[in-house]
Amino acid sequence: MAEYELLEHTADTGFRVRAASLEELFARAAEALVSIAVDTARAEARERRSVECAGEPVEELLVNWLSEVLWLLEGERFVPARFERLSVAGGVARGAVRGEPRDDQRHPPRIVVKAVTYHQLAVRAHNGGWEAEVFLDI
Amino acid sequence: MVIEQLDPVRHRIAKGARHGMRTDVVFYASGPILEQVQKDRALEQAMNVACLPGIVGPSLAMPDIHQGYGFPIGGVAAMDWDSGVVSPGGVGYDINCGVRLIRTNLEKDEVRARLKEIVDQVFRDVPCGVGGKGHLDITEKQLNQVLEQGAEWMADQGYGEPSDIEHCEERGRLKGADPGEVSARAKERGRPQIGTLGSGNHFLEIQFVQKVHDEEAARCYGLEEGQVVVLIHSGSRGLGHQVCTDFLAQMGAAMKKYGITLPDRQLACVPIQSPEGQAYLKAMRAAANFAWANRQAMLHFVRGSFQKVFGKKTRLALVYDVCHNIAKRERYEFGGRTVDVLVHRKGATRAFPPHHPEIPADYRAVGQPVLIPGSMGTASWVLAGNEGAMRESFGSVCHGAGRLLSRHAAKHGRDARAVQRELEERGILVRSETRDGIIEEVPEAYKDVDEVIEVVHEAGLARKVARLRPMGVIKG
Repeated sequence: MAEYELLEHTADTGFRVRAASLEELFARAAEALVSIAVDTARAEARERRSVECAGEPVEELLVNWLSEVLWLLEGERFVPARFERLSVAGGVARGAVRGEPRDDQRHPPRIVVKAVTYHQLAVRAHNGGWEAEVFLDI
Repeated sequence: MVIEQLDPVRHRIAKGARHGMRTDVVFYASGPILEQVQKDRALEQAMNVACLPGIVGPSLAMPDIHQGYGFPIGGVAAMDWDSGVVSPGGVGYDINCGVRLIRTNLEKDEVRARLKEIVDQVFRDVPCGVGGKGHLDITEKQLNQVLEQGAEWMADQGYGEPSDIEHCEERGRLKGADPGEVSARAKERGRPQIGTLGSGNHFLEIQFVQKVHDEEAARCYGLEEGQVVVLIHSGSRGLGHQVCTDFLAQMGAAMKKYGITLPDRQLACVPIQSPEGQAYLKAMRAAANFAWANRQAMLHFVRGSFQKVFGKKTRLALVYDVCHNIAKRERYEFGGRTVDVLVHRKGATRAFPPHHPEIPADYRAVGQPVLIPGSMGTASWVLAGNEGAMRESFGSVCHGAGRLLSRHAAKHGRDARAVQRELEERGILVRSETRDGIIEEVPEAYKDVDEVIEVVHEAGLARKVARLRPMGVIKG
């Protein structure tokens, strides 16, 4: 179950995630994005894909990372159930995604996420851990 | 922020209001709208747009303005073709999101009697594609043809009539598109989605002409009171979204190269004449053509639905098709000289006046039809372009009612079934692929579309032709 807080925006939607490490933050943000788009309650970790992207500073890297996850969902039609073995360092994020092919019966669509934006984008240290705020165009 | 009222509907924020502004912000609003637009960051975003290099005239905002990303939604900015910049954010992720209005030869009462049947038929025939797939299967080669030829390609395949093409802005095809500038990912995302509506604020409505305000223009557009029409609001689906995503990512680095610094990363832009700027414009035009082909396919599906329910003699003709997320090269007389500009319309509609050569010959005497979709269950409008738009808003007006509440706030305390029932009691049948599709788009989430129209009418940018009322709504 994705843990995130929804943020207000007149036309679209945003979320805030918090985590102990950058790696966990990137995984949480990806889970938030996926669960805004589809109901993942029945998504199973049957297949494995890998995701890798580059970008600097870390905010730019997070947008690129989430755009990769959105590509998995919309382009490859793959529903991520779990993110694992993430590494975020030196302007590169990489990790493994376990999930299954998208099936509207098993994963009822919620809304089409068009894109991950740079609007009011934030990645910052918070209480000894990390916090990110991201807005999505829907 | 000091807002100076110029007249009952025009307001200005002078360029000195903030460091970096190269020009004024001028926006159109009346009393209640003026209060509403100050509730989010829309005006601040219009001030950011005023900072862009090469902007000609003011950074403009229409009365439906609300907070977007980078540019406000309802914003218009003209950039000098030689020295200005192009900003993918000034077009938006949904490139050529737009509206098409179709007239039928049916009366309101005939359709009302079989409303459930026709709404269900259209819901079956026009896929929302929320899950990502439509009814059409095109090859990659065919997709490249779509990207070059737009609505025309669809009509050539049997999905349309020649008069459909005549009645599209740009004849449903922007010249200078290059499929080679569209990424493989954008193509792969878009290909299965052609001929699908999408979700969010996109919709298909069966409506009737409730009131005609301008007899001559309405007659010219083939509209009369009581007549049933269909309004389709959709865009370039995943293909356009990915084009915008791809170019925004690239432009971060390119901006450094051109020494451009901005108050908001989302405003990312490059010189129009740079290789990156030209590449974006070629890809954007290709995505725009995809959107026109997409709406053309849906017109064809709706024709089929109406003929299945009301018989073979039912005729559906395209009144017009406008795009409201686009950047186009146009020429204007501005400030005593002819300016050659790239007009960014981010949630704004072209509104050319009578006798403009770009308008279809049969409408030239009265001006371009301007289609303004309202919120679900309220009203939509047909306007006609006026000279005023040429003089002061680079041939542009508003594009909709404009959101007031966030999606989250719209959901609060509301139940989709109750909203659906309430609309049914008012004679409006709603079908949606998702529960949120209904609830996030409740009429209360939007400004009063009539008030928005009043402002642009009063300002002389466009004039009222007809008010449309919905009977059936299909949503993603």
